[in-house]
Formats: sequence, structure tokens, C-alpha cells
Amino acid sequence: MSLHWESFVYAIVAFLILYWLLNKFAFGPLFGIMEKRRLLVQEQMDNAEKNRLESEKFLEEQKQSLQQARKEAYDIIEQAKTTGSKQADEIVNAAREESSRLKNEAVREIESEKNKAVAALRSEVTGLSVKIASKIIEKQVDEKAQGELVDKYLQEVGTKP
Amino acid sequence: MHEFPVLEVAGLHIDIATFIAITVSAIVTFVLAKLAVRKLSVENPSKLQNFMEWVVEFVHSTIASTMPLKRVRPFLALGMTLIMFIFISNLLGLPFGIVTEHHHTDTFVSQEMLDEHEGEVELAWWKSPTADLSVTGGLALIVFVLVHFLGLKMNRKHYIKHYFQPFWFFFPLNIIETIAKPVTLALRLYANIFAGEVLIATILMLGVIGTPFMIVWQGFSIFVGAIQAFLFTILTMVYISQAAIHDDEEHAEHAH
Repeated sequence: MSLHWESFVYAIVAFLILYWLLNKFAFGPLFGIMEKRRLLVQEQMDNAEKNRLESEKFLEEQKQSLQQARKEAYDIIEQAKTTGSKQADEIVNAAREESSRLKNEAVREIESEKNKAVAALRSEVTGLSVKIASKIIEKQVDEKAQGELVDKYLQEVGTKP
Repeated sequence: MHEFPVLEVAGLHIDIATFIAITVSAIVTFVLAKLAVRKLSVENPSKLQNFMEWVVEFVHSTIASTMPLKRVRPFLALGMTLIMFIFISNLLGLPFGIVTEHHHTDTFVSQEMLDEHEGEVELAWWKSPTADLSVTGGLALIVFVLVHFLGLKMNRKHYIKHYFQPFWFFFPLNIIETIAKPVTLALRLYANIFAGEVLIATILMLGVIGTPFMIVWQGFSIFVGAIQAFLFTILTMVYISQAAIHDDEEHAEHAH
């Protein structure tokens, strides 16, 4: 085994040239490409993150609008319920009023009919009693006594129906 | 043992096996890297590009384990070149060898060599460049120069101070440590790969019986080659980090 300084120098020179060549023609472009890929991946990740945030926002919006729609539907149902019960009350009240009105009318009618009947009876009784009295006592009883008699009968008719 | 052919040109001793090995390693490394980046694509990388990116990620995480993450980028290409060149170099001598026998003196065989080997000299023309101490020494020298250059440039105060830590009279020890680092770096790589090749040559002498040993040892040599390439790279980064970055960070922490 013998050492030669020429080999030593040649090794150094060859390595330096190789380093220079590789750096210029191979590693430079390769590192460039790797850097580009790194940027690409980063960009895509950023995009994905952005999309995720956006979709989350959309989802939130959807949820909110769904919630709102549900609330509106609930409100509408509630309103319909209150309207319905109110109308039912109104109908019932109206019916009640109507019935009481009818009853009152009927009562009043009955009253007036009764009064009419009483008045008619009174005049009838008066006529009848006059006829009876005139037939019984004809000439003996004068006008005055006759009137008193009639009043007496009438009193009795009024109190004992 | 095999001798290596040495060509004498204008007073220079050109070790042909080493020169061929270095050149082939460098070319294979470059061609592999160039093929990997032939059709670069962000979205649809080829298999080779994927593999190369995996290597880059691996080297990146390796370097990042020795220094802060944001400082890694400038050393990535160095780490890539080191690990690829050394790994390919380590594998280069494994698959085959070219050996010629010489019984007379010629361009590569002197009379002394013939005398030493009793008239029959075997010349090996093919080996791993890292099985030559000159090559690993060259790589270690590059690392050595780079480490101390970066230490002086990026971290001068703490770099100089560390020679006198923890006390001023530790200076000689620190100098020994500084020298030992690249020396061990070179010797470790050289010894591992050279030993592997020696054992391959030895197993070859066994002939057909040696086949199972050969299979096992070839597999193990690939493993050793990968481990040594990784070790060289990570130790380089550790040394750089120690000289140029670590103290800097520590100082920054103290300042807080």
C-alpha cells in the first residue's frame, strides 16, 4: 500500500467538481421542486381550512334558518290555536246572548199576552156582569147602584183569578 | 496482496485504479442524480425522483438532528453529495474486480516489485475509491477546511474561545482533538471499506467453496457501505455544527 499525493489531490478536485455539478444541475432544481411542492401542499391545506370554515359558516346559517322556520311554524300554530279558541268563545257567547234575548222576548210576550188576556177578560166580565145584572134586576136597580156592584165584582175578579 | 498500477507521467505518480474509481464514482453519482431530476414534476414525480426526494428528506432530517432546523438548508447539498458519493464509492469495489498477472517488468511493474513478489505481480485495476486512504483523506481534508472556515466566518469569537475551554492549558488537548477528528474520519471510512475488499479478495482465493461466504459478505459490505456513508455525513455535520453553530445558539440562549 503506497500513498500518492496525486490521488489525494485528484480526490479533492473530483469531489469539489462533483459537488458543484450536482448543486447546479441536480440538487438545485430538485430542491426547487420540493419547495414548490411544499408551497402547493401548504396552499391546498390553507384552501381546505378555508373551505372548512366556510362550510361551517353555511351549516350554522342553515341551522339558524331552520330554527327560525321552526319558530315561525310554532308561532303560526299558536296563533291559530288562540284564534280558534277565541272564535269558539265568541260563538258560544253569541249563542248565549241570542238565547237569553229569545228568552226575554218570550217572557215579555207572555207578559203582554197575559195582560191582554186579563184586559179582555175584564171587559168580557164587565159586559157579562152588566148583562147578568140588567137581566136580574132590570128596572129596580139604578145606574149608581149598578156601578157599585160592578166594581165589587171586578175587585173580586182581580184578586181571585 | 495485489499491487496497484501506478503510471509515472512528468514526475507525477498516477495511481490508475484510484483515478478510475474516483472518476467512475463521480460519474455514476452525477448520472444517477441527473436521471432523478430529468423530468421534475411537482404533482407527478417519477419513481427515481421520489427516491431522490426520499434521500433528500433523509439527509435533511439527519442534518437537522445535529443543528437547528433553520440552519440546515445551506448544508443540504453538501450532505447529499457526501452521502451519495461515498455510498456509491463504497459499493463500487463490491461486484467485481479486474486483476492482471505480470511476470516481466513493464510500465507498471518494476524489478523491485517482481523481486518482492517472487516473479509474479498481480495488479488490481478496480476498487472502491474509498478503499484508498488518499481519497478518504481528501474528503476529510475538505471537511476539515470547511469546518474551520465556517467556524471562523460564522462564529469567530466562540470558535476561537473553544480552544481554551474549559481552561487555557487545555489548548494542546483541544488541538489534538481538532486534528484527531478528520484523521479518524478518514481512517474509519478507509479501514472499513479496505477491510471489506481485502476479505473479498481472500474469499475469492477459496474458490467455489467460498460462494456462501461471498454472498454473506457482499450483503454485509453493502450494509457497511451504507453505514459508513451515513456516519461520514452525520459526523461532518456534527463537526460543522460544533464549530459554526452550536456555540452561537448556546450564546443566544444565554443572552435571553
